[in-house]
Amino acid sequence: MDREESDLGAVRQPIAQARGLPNAHYTDPATFAEERQAVLADNWMGLAVTADVPEVGDALPVTILGMPLLVLRDRAGEIRVFHNTCRHRGMILVEEPRRIEGAIRCPYHSWCYATDGRLVSTPHVGGPGRNTHPGMAREGLGLIEVRAHVWMDVIFVNLSGTAPPFAEAHGELIARWQEFDRPLYHGGSDSRFDLEVACNWKLAVENYCESYHLPWVHPGLNSYSRLEDHYHIEAPGRFSGQGTLVYRQMRGEAGEVFPDFADLSPQWDTAAEYITLFPNVLFGVHRDHAYSILLQPEALDRTVERVNIYYARPDTDAALRARNAEQWKGVFIEDLFVVEGMQRGRQAPAFDGGRFSPAMDGPTHLFHDWVAAQVQRHRGTLPLRAAE
Amino acid sequence: MSALDRELLAAHAASDRAALVALYRLAADESADADQAAFYLTHAHVFALEMGHPEVAALRARLVAAGRESPLPPPRPPLR
Repeated sequence: MDREESDLGAVRQPIAQARGLPNAHYTDPATFAEERQAVLADNWMGLAVTADVPEVGDALPVTILGMPLLVLRDRAGEIRVFHNTCRHRGMILVEEPRRIEGAIRCPYHSWCYATDGRLVSTPHVGGPGRNTHPGMAREGLGLIEVRAHVWMDVIFVNLSGTAPPFAEAHGELIARWQEFDRPLYHGGSDSRFDLEVACNWKLAVENYCESYHLPWVHPGLNSYSRLEDHYHIEAPGRFSGQGTLVYRQMRGEAGEVFPDFADLSPQWDTAAEYITLFPNVLFGVHRDHAYSILLQPEALDRTVERVNIYYARPDTDAALRARNAEQWKGVFIEDLFVVEGMQRGRQAPAFDGGRFSPAMDGPTHLFHDWVAAQVQRHRGTLPLRAAE
Repeated sequence: MSALDRELLAAHAASDRAALVALYRLAADESADADQAAFYLTHAHVFALEMGHPEVAALRARLVAAGRESPLPPPRPPLR
């Protein structure tokens, strides 16, 4: 072994005894590389949103974990994710977001791919004016496709190809939020923003999962959303988060509100839920809007949070939408000093992963336990326990 | 340099794909040599593919008939 692997046994203890993930999981490049495969690539990670590619032919190049990918809405309207790499000499195919009118033409030797990935032209491959060659079977040379699944407008990908189907892996959350499984209308340019954060992506999850920090970091919420109005959401091995029982709708100057999603049960009159779908997508649902935050790991200690906000109808009030986006942006910005501070705090060599409040940190511990289990599975050291 | 060559260079410089399709097809039509015609027709077809030109199927059919291209493969279902 070239390096000492982190000890995950303490993470997987019951919450009252457990410690958090060791520093290496936030500061060590080799452990980051290990997690990249075990935690992110082997599971269904959020990559983009379909609102990024609203029209047929829209193509969005995305580099994730150093891997150049191409998100594309094909001619049939289906969302596809491909390696953004020509099968001929490995050239990057699409450099900037753009509309593919017909086929994707490699800018190097002009091999052409249909929007469903088929290789449809290999000009002069058999010599000038001869576009086929017996040794070049196009069937095996289409774009390399990545498994993709759309839920709540988020495009999830399973880079390794080894995860169970999305609906099987995440059936519990799909069922929990089935009342929101309906058309979501993106609020447009005023309802999307990015936040660049100097921390490992996991710290954003950890902070999002729990309500313990709310009265201290978001004191503005105290007036109507007290700590005791929140509850934990814990689904071991799948997702975790928090809910509130006292959600109040935003009102405009004339008392106007956003329209509700249709046919919601009464519990949603005042409830809202905030859940992380492991590994990297943070969701929030309310009677009148929903949002997703994709955590895009840029480096060991750098993350981009991509925020998109959705409504029940396409014709919501622009001023109210802008206020809602500003309000959420303010809340998310309030969290930045925390996640960045925790990143810097992990440079203290004697920090042992920290402890969890057995009463308040359950959802965060559950995320740590899941990450540890993924890494143990990857290392082949997963203990024989139930529910893994 | 012929007038057609100059027009082709200008169309390349302007990334005017519709013009490239038309000019390469014209170059193919005017070529007496089968290999040279196939070369130009290949370029017309590639730019037609790229832009979703209405004549792309006809251009491909000409190449297939000349033994220079294969028919389109069937659509590929998404990987889920």
